Amino acid sequence: MATAITVNNLSKSFGAVRAVDEVSFTVEPGAVTAFLGPNGAGKTTTLRMILGLVAPTAGTAMIGRTPYIQLTSPITKVGAVLEATAFHPGLSARAHLDVLRTAAGLAPARVDLVLDQVDLTRAADRKIGGFSLGMRQRLAIASALLGDPEILILDEPANGLDPRGIAWLRGFLRAYAHEGRAVLVSTHVLAEIERIAGRALIISAGRLVRQAELTPDSTDLENLYLEATR
Amino acid sequence: MIRNPLVRAELVKARASRTGPALAVIAPITCVLWATLQALVFDGLDALPAASRVENVYAMAQQAYVFTLILGVLAMTGEYRHQTITWTFLTTPVRSRVVTAKLVAWGLVGLAVACVSALATLVSGAALLAVRGLPVLTPGVPLVLLGAVLSTTAYALLGVGLGALIRNQAVALVVALLWFMYGDYLLSSLAPDIGRWLPTGAARALSGMHMQAGALLPAWAGGLLFVAYVAATVLAARLVTLRRDVT
Repeated sequence: MATAITVNNLSKSFGAVRAVDEVSFTVEPGAVTAFLGPNGAGKTTTLRMILGLVAPTAGTAMIGRTPYIQLTSPITKVGAVLEATAFHPGLSARAHLDVLRTAAGLAPARVDLVLDQVDLTRAADRKIGGFSLGMRQRLAIASALLGDPEILILDEPANGLDPRGIAWLRGFLRAYAHEGRAVLVSTHVLAEIERIAGRALIISAGRLVRQAELTPDSTDLENLYLEATR
Repeated sequence: MIRNPLVRAELVKARASRTGPALAVIAPITCVLWATLQALVFDGLDALPAASRVENVYAMAQQAYVFTLILGVLAMTGEYRHQTITWTFLTTPVRSRVVTAKLVAWGLVGLAVACVSALATLVSGAALLAVRGLPVLTPGVPLVLLGAVLSTTAYALLGVGLGALIRNQAVALVVALLWFMYGDYLLSSLAPDIGRWLPTGAARALSGMHMQAGALLPAWAGGLLFVAYVAATVLAARLVTLRRDVT
């Protein structure tokens, strides 16, 4: 499979603040790519530009060879986990997924399948307003998986997950990449991502300061990170 | 019945939340209360011919407009308030398609609320007039009810447009309610000549109602003018708020 995501000279200014400054990288299938950097470094803005939610000031971001907003059925190509709180509290988990499923024209059976995948089947008909942070996060992951996408983009997915949830997520992302799909994940939990990531992209003050291949057990990701973001 | 997946998704949302169905029930009840009031003050309005007074009872079906307006505003601004707009735009990145689907879906919801309200007004109005021994129907009544249905539906569309333009739910609601419950009436009474050109004047023309001050446009022209107001708010939203970053 060809390159999953191509980011080329991507920049974003908010007023006088250069949040993202000529960032270029690619994300390849078959591996987990870690997207690292301090708070406010521009990780979230970059991910949101890739997903067409934030308009770049300059540069391009492509899914395969197409910008996200021109994809005909985007959630069947890219799954995204962005914010744990972005649900209507009055809806049940099933209703939330059903809205997305209907809008994307997917088969009804996908809803039960992804609920089962994230182990939310028993809570499926409860209102999201009563969900814990970890349950919301799993629902967000279920939403991202709805279209069975080739590419997963996750912003801080481990937030709010308990140790069992984190172990599950690690196994899940690793398996996803092993199937030949692409995973781009932003995180602060270096020890965690070190165990599954094949590559690291480190961004600091809006600039991509380091790209490195990671070898399990031989790369000290923390050192790499601290050096790159100094 | 409805094939378009985006419109169907909007209807799933409409069914799943509690506010929508609640407002849809309150709307016809409000119309019945207004119709009752009109029937009670019937004799006091003897400046008007009896036929007009009978029609005014049924014209209360138009009072459902407040609720379809609110439904439209909530449909759009609720997405920003609960940040579900992120999921919506991830699924449908061409944002104008989202607004179009909402206009169609909430137009349908508005139409349903308007029909139920008109029916409730017709039944209660006829019963009240009959009980009081007054004429129950006039030849103009069907048109009055049709006009009420059309204008009530149109307010749902205006709500969606306003909600797209003003993303903050509280601000959008306050603006919509102040403007369409008081603002236009105030302006019309201050300057009767412009009243017919305001959205409220257009809606009243569409619903075949009368305003105290100044003559209204013909019904068809009022309808077109109201649609133009909806189109203007949607266009303004596309140019200003809809393209903003979702962060």
